[in-house]
Amino acid sequence: MSVADFLWENNRAKISPRPEYTRSSMRTFAAALLTASLLAQHGRYLSDSKHPSIGNPEAIAAGTKLFMGSCAGCHGPDGGGGARGPNLVRRSLWHPLSDDAIFQVIRKGVPGTDMPPTKLSDEQTWNLVAFIHALTGPASTNPVPGDPASGRAVYWGAKAGCSNCHAIRGQGGRMGPDLSNVGGSRPLAVIREAIVEPAKDLYYLGNEAATVTLKNGQILQGVAKNRSNYSLQLVDTKGILHLIQMNDVKHLTLSASTSMPTDYATRLSKDELRDLLAYLAAQDIRADEREGMRERKASKQ
Amino acid sequence: MTRITLLYFTLVLGALAQVSHKDVAKGADEDWLTYAGTYSGWRYSPLKQITADNARNIVPKWVYHVPGARGLRSSPIIYRGVLYITNTNSVYAIDARSGRLVWQYADPRAKKGGVNRGAAIWADKVYFTTSDNYLVALDRHTGALIFNKKFADVGQGTTSTSAPLVAKGKVIVGSAGGDSGVRGFIMALSADDGKQLWKTYTVPARGEKGSETWGDLIDWGGGAAWLSGTYDPELNTLYWTTGNPWPDYNADVRKGDNLYTCSLLALDLDSGMMKWYFQFTPHDTHDWDAQSWPVLVDTEIRGQKRKAVLHANRNGFFYALDRVTGEFLRATQLIDKITWAKGVDDKGRPIPLPNSDPTPEGNWVCPSVKGATNWMGQSYNPGTALLYVLTLEQCGMYYRSSQEPQPMKNFSGGGATEEGGQVILRALDPKTGKRVWEYPMTGLGRMWTGTVSTAGGVLFSGDDDGHLVALDAKNGKNLWHFNMGETLGASPITYSVDGKQYVAIASSTAVFSFGLFEPVIGVEPPVIQIK
Repeated sequence: MSVADFLWENNRAKISPRPEYTRSSMRTFAAALLTASLLAQHGRYLSDSKHPSIGNPEAIAAGTKLFMGSCAGCHGPDGGGGARGPNLVRRSLWHPLSDDAIFQVIRKGVPGTDMPPTKLSDEQTWNLVAFIHALTGPASTNPVPGDPASGRAVYWGAKAGCSNCHAIRGQGGRMGPDLSNVGGSRPLAVIREAIVEPAKDLYYLGNEAATVTLKNGQILQGVAKNRSNYSLQLVDTKGILHLIQMNDVKHLTLSASTSMPTDYATRLSKDELRDLLAYLAAQDIRADEREGMRERKASKQ
Repeated sequence: MTRITLLYFTLVLGALAQVSHKDVAKGADEDWLTYAGTYSGWRYSPLKQITADNARNIVPKWVYHVPGARGLRSSPIIYRGVLYITNTNSVYAIDARSGRLVWQYADPRAKKGGVNRGAAIWADKVYFTTSDNYLVALDRHTGALIFNKKFADVGQGTTSTSAPLVAKGKVIVGSAGGDSGVRGFIMALSADDGKQLWKTYTVPARGEKGSETWGDLIDWGGGAAWLSGTYDPELNTLYWTTGNPWPDYNADVRKGDNLYTCSLLALDLDSGMMKWYFQFTPHDTHDWDAQSWPVLVDTEIRGQKRKAVLHANRNGFFYALDRVTGEFLRATQLIDKITWAKGVDDKGRPIPLPNSDPTPEGNWVCPSVKGATNWMGQSYNPGTALLYVLTLEQCGMYYRSSQEPQPMKNFSGGGATEEGGQVILRALDPKTGKRVWEYPMTGLGRMWTGTVSTAGGVLFSGDDDGHLVALDAKNGKNLWHFNMGETLGASPITYSVDGKQYVAIASSTAVFSFGLFEPVIGVEPPVIQIK
């Protein structure tokens, strides 16, 4: 678990509840993710998992129906959690479960909690696992709507300006989190949330925008990678690391909100956003392996 | 105010700097830029704030608990106030003054676990390898990925454990996994983009020179290169050791010397071409990998000035070779009890004693499978002109199985146990190969920790009982000790930030940093505004 994820979980209680529009946009998104676009991408992305239902759009669609009927009541229609069931999407970030483990949880329930055992067939259970994997597994291991090639242009273009702050494989800015593996480490829903609602939570603690004035008069601007009462680790706007003792600091100003622009939901068209997501979903430091797996699978067929 | 200004100036200038050949080649100073601190494998630092006189005042400065770590093997590197340490498939950048995390990089989807011995640094990139053979390059300031390149297939049994060595823009890596039947290799990749530049196998292909020293199992010969080596910039030569032949204990199926296993290889940095080799244990039957540091020292041997390479081997002997030609110069006994050979002949070949091979019932042989020494970091101190080696006086049982060898199935053709024994830190004279002093340790022979020595005349070593100890480098007198509370598997280093010397070492689960006691100045709560 990363520090940021840990902090996120521990700060969750302090965050005001999501406004209603968030929920509905997530629901729309979930619906979009679950139906037409998934089916349209058949065979396009394969997962690391061995079970054939994982990443299979038909299994995911069947699992969707099961989820909406039996699981959404507690876990929310987008897996975002409810009064009785945890947020499956976020949970997967700090405590990922293997597909087999998810299978067992569905089958056996979680004793001592509201999560009951089920009597679904193996096939039904795997369909449900496929859906949960699509919702909570790394974006790169799931079918994703949109065109990554167009998304690349959006990412590197001036309108979105993503690359001003975020690097992919050494290209781009260093102020924001590195995105080389964003698709390999984050569910699509989380990536989307980070783009369209970056200010909603403190997910990027450890990436606070900071301005520091030293006692010798120098002023530095950048991102606080870490800080305490005694020391500050700051990456400046040029991507250079500064190790600072708080004894040498006259004044430190931290931004209460994210440095990420908050207007992407309106700045980008629906198509641009979808394509950008497809491009980001494909950013995976182990993409070459899925490439190989796809070839092996194709040669077997 | 002056102090603050000066300090700050130093760190900013440092931040703009890039690690160059000159930086690494000059050896350790404030920084510690390669696994062994110097290309020559000395684990020596010119720092001298901590001396034999004041070592009694050493106190812990900070500790960083590496998340989820168990059995750390990593020796830190230091550049401009940042300490980089690895765990399995992960790297941590830590503020070397405060112990606070700067960034971390992890690849939890790697196809294998296992140990990792450390990172390397070149220009503005930090390098390490994943257990499933990716070379990963990260921005040293932010931890952002620059590239990752797969250089071998873990599905074929090859894994990666050692810290890469970077020399003149080439990242040198080697293969681990020699106990399950693989063909070992050493490889150079471009520090800029990970492109493969050359690959030298440690076992010849069928028909090549040396293949006559094998039978049918040559394709699975082993000879893993699981520990980084040393480098002589003047000769442009890499010195790399190779592991055991496979199957480890059943040698009937691989008659001959089994080149180039249990050997030291001298490779041209530019081409990977083998300049010479020296095999310490021909036709090894005891899993005595040659993985121990080839230490490059210019010294007088038998009245003649030599560019020597010193090598304390698992098989029980301490060797000196000419590192230009590979000529055997001398071998002496590293440990007291050696039962498998009565000595080494004048060509450097051991003279085996009868009945010392593994048997179905088990054969009691000294040294044990763990060896008279192993990959623990040794130190050479030019001030005392002594080489410090952790040795193990231990014997063990060796078993042979006549089962059909099965490559890539974790099959080793038998097994071995080790019993009792004692770790003794020994100071050896490179001129004569003789012991000058020794420091015996309490414990069960379970440590893998090593040493670092300094111009301050102090030798730091982990001991076999979980302590970090400071000894007088001249005579081995104990000066200071600290109970780390865990078995030690990693070697200490030393560095300096803001004019203060530190000694850092990883325990099983955490990184500790030590320095001389000084009264702590109270810190006013910082003025922080959040808006």
